Amino acid sequence: MPAQPYGLIATFDSAAAIYHAAEQVRDAGYRRWDCITPCPVHGLDGAMGVKRSLVPRISLAGGITGFCTGMSLIYWTGAINYKLTVGGKPLFSPMFAFPISYELTILFTAFATIGGMFLLNNLPMHHHPVLKYDHIARGLDDQFFVVIETADPKFDSKLTRDLLEQAGGKNIAELET
Amino acid sequence: MSATAATLSAPAVAVSSSASTANKALAVGVAGLVVTALGLFVSGAQPVALSYLVGLSFWTAIAIGMLMLVMIHHIVDASWSVVIRRQFEHGLAAFGWLFVLFLPLLVSVWVKPGLVWPWMDLANVVHGTVTYRDDILLSKKSAVLNREVFTVATLGFFAVWVWLSARLRRASFTQDTDGAAGWTGMNRRTSAFGIPLGALSLTFAAIFWMKSLEPHWFSTMYGVWFFSNCIRAGLAFGVFIMVWLTARGDYRGVLNKNHWHCIGTLGHAFVIFWAYVTFSQYFLIWNANIPEETFWYNLREITHAGTPSQWKWVGMLILFGHFFVPFLYLLSFRLKSTASGLLPISVWIVGIILVDLCYNILPVLKDSHGDPLPFISINLVWVAASVVGVGGVCVWAYLRSLATSGAKLIPIRDPRIAESLTYHE
Repeated sequence: MPAQPYGLIATFDSAAAIYHAAEQVRDAGYRRWDCITPCPVHGLDGAMGVKRSLVPRISLAGGITGFCTGMSLIYWTGAINYKLTVGGKPLFSPMFAFPISYELTILFTAFATIGGMFLLNNLPMHHHPVLKYDHIARGLDDQFFVVIETADPKFDSKLTRDLLEQAGGKNIAELET
Repeated sequence: MSATAATLSAPAVAVSSSASTANKALAVGVAGLVVTALGLFVSGAQPVALSYLVGLSFWTAIAIGMLMLVMIHHIVDASWSVVIRRQFEHGLAAFGWLFVLFLPLLVSVWVKPGLVWPWMDLANVVHGTVTYRDDILLSKKSAVLNREVFTVATLGFFAVWVWLSARLRRASFTQDTDGAAGWTGMNRRTSAFGIPLGALSLTFAAIFWMKSLEPHWFSTMYGVWFFSNCIRAGLAFGVFIMVWLTARGDYRGVLNKNHWHCIGTLGHAFVIFWAYVTFSQYFLIWNANIPEETFWYNLREITHAGTPSQWKWVGMLILFGHFFVPFLYLLSFRLKSTASGLLPISVWIVGIILVDLCYNILPVLKDSHGDPLPFISINLVWVAASVVGVGGVCVWAYLRSLATSGAKLIPIRDPRIAESLTYHE
């Protein structure tokens, strides 16, 4: 028995066509699918039913970690590990710990944002099944594609193909894994 | 464009109701000013005059914020804010009236020097030791800190603001009728020299009107601190106006989520900017620990007996209320991208800006020990009356401009209006 294909790919000729096709695929309840477009299509994320990214939450966690790291670093070095009174100031004050804390807040937020983006996008990814598709280069030029994965719980080789056809997709083909 | 013009020729009804609302605002304003004036007989001249200075600088900050936002809009050739800019331009109509309302304080400078700004009366005693006449620190600054320079400078500030506002308004309003793109170019040139002029004038206004209340004290951050409050106040009033005009129906269909998100994001950025500036001012003074600077904060934290004063808690309120609360609130995408999310935090920010101005101005009122009079006192009544009084006049000026300037509700022939109406991220 041949291996399960990666999914079905359908070709569309215009941004409007893929926009409406995306709405139909979204309304059919698919979860694991994607659109490949040569240019940004405004509103496509809404038509696909994409929710807001989780990256901001990860950024916030990074920021809080950075702030606490800065405060505890200054507290531990100044008030515990190497007590030294400078300029009559207390051994610890949030005042002088603040510049370090907010710089670490920014640094850790940046790390968490980049890291979270990589994580959620499964990056780095050196190969993707759609790259095997013969006409995929047209997706960088003038054609639009919808790809529905076989891993989607709603995937059914006939019904999914019918849906893509009904949505106006052309040249519907299976993608190898 | 044609669809745009069709939807926007409607609010003729709204215009006449603006005019009657304007008269109500003026009545409220006059009532506030009358109550403030009555305060002279209750609390005496000095507390009322300083409370009035709080009210005046509060509304001047809002107008300056709008002026700077309009000029920043032009200089960066922004598109999203075209539909919002027109309301700021109406707000700029307040500058002339703010000048009129400032006149009593300018008169006091010559009739009763030292009433508001203590150093103007050289017989006043500073820090309970010497008079300003014998004070070496003041005499070194007297080339700037004297009544002549103060008066000319204040006239100059208002001249700059009124003139810039008139230029920006005329170009923008005229474009509604002739549609010439050249007016946009003219406003860009006005902004190119207007931004430095505005920055200098608002900095020196903050120095003369507020910082010089304690003439020994100095802080290079002071003008920037005032600027950040101006922008935050201007943005908050932008939110109020947008919410009001949307609720009344004028702006129905004009604003989308992305416009709100932009206002919210800009507001968030200026929360951080304000915190950065204000923290830097405190931190550098705390760190250097030089008596000529620290006394300003000591006055606002401890009494002569070394116990914490009310102003310490006002300072804490500003620290948390002016930074942490709006900062954390505006982190949320949902809250900063909707009118219902932005309205409450804008009300809060405007309230805290008023407290911040009180914190900077009112402690100049001192008791016999040299301690500032407490924050919670009858003076808050005069502050409130002044804010309502000056505010009523400013709101009236805005509404009158909205109703009678002949300008369209939004700049329908601005080259970027279509981009602004369909703005998306």
